[in-house]
Amino acid sequence: MFLIVFIAFLYGCATVISKMINYRAAQELGTWNGSLVNYVVASILALALLLFSPYLWSDLQACTKVPVYLYAGGTFGVIAFVLSIVTLRRMKVFQSTILLLAGQLLAGILFDLIVFRGFTWIKFAGVLLVSLGIFWDKKVTAA
Amino acid sequence: MYSFLVLLAGVLQSAMMSFNGLLAESVSLWGVSLVVHASGGILLVLYILLVVREKITLRGMPWYLYSAGFFGVLLVSVSSWCVGILGAAVTTCLSVSGQLCMSAVIDHYGLFHVPKVPFSPRRIPCFLMILAGIILLNLS
Repeated sequence: MFLIVFIAFLYGCATVISKMINYRAAQELGTWNGSLVNYVVASILALALLLFSPYLWSDLQACTKVPVYLYAGGTFGVIAFVLSIVTLRRMKVFQSTILLLAGQLLAGILFDLIVFRGFTWIKFAGVLLVSLGIFWDKKVTAA
Repeated sequence: MYSFLVLLAGVLQSAMMSFNGLLAESVSLWGVSLVVHASGGILLVLYILLVVREKITLRGMPWYLYSAGFFGVLLVSVSSWCVGILGAAVTTCLSVSGQLCMSAVIDHYGLFHVPKVPFSPRRIPCFLMILAGIILLNLS
């Protein structure tokens, strides 16, 4: 359990480095083309990794069997990205960050309840404490 | 109205993580990453051409900035894996905690040429609260 918790934490650390690179790319090519680079390079890299991995055949067999709506993840991601960029011109970064987080956490709890069915009160208390800590920290740093 | 749209963006991000996590139950992590980035990339190209009406250019950056794609694959794969085990809410919590710590380190030392912002002791109670929450998550 500890290992996966640590990996999820490291995932957050890596997200910041990725954001800094994407921010620099946006300075060079503009917001839209700058983030398109991410998608194009990542697609090519993922395809190459898949082609040389032992999973290629099992993935090809599995990809027709999974429900089509599960492929919507990429679409959701792009809509979320466009929404966050377009609305950022109309509100403060702080406000935008808090709202994004609130939406993510609320939906996360809901999805966990409906899809993963992994609800426990200890987990809920943990999520609540971490969320409050994050919102508090955002308030302190924004002041 | 705009607040609602940003909230919706957060919900969609969470939905993306959950869907990717579910997809990873049947398809390998590289497969998930390919589907997510290829479908997202095609939609973004359409958006740039039809709505923003900008020319598509991907060339002319320093080479190391193209590592954005490497992080793209890494982040989607790791998050899909974590969501499958921890669920979306816990993964989001842990990831944001990691983001806060990493940003605090980068700001404090002025890494990546960002302006130096020393760590404020007023943030310590917030971090302790987050740490307490993470310990609880570990116990569950």
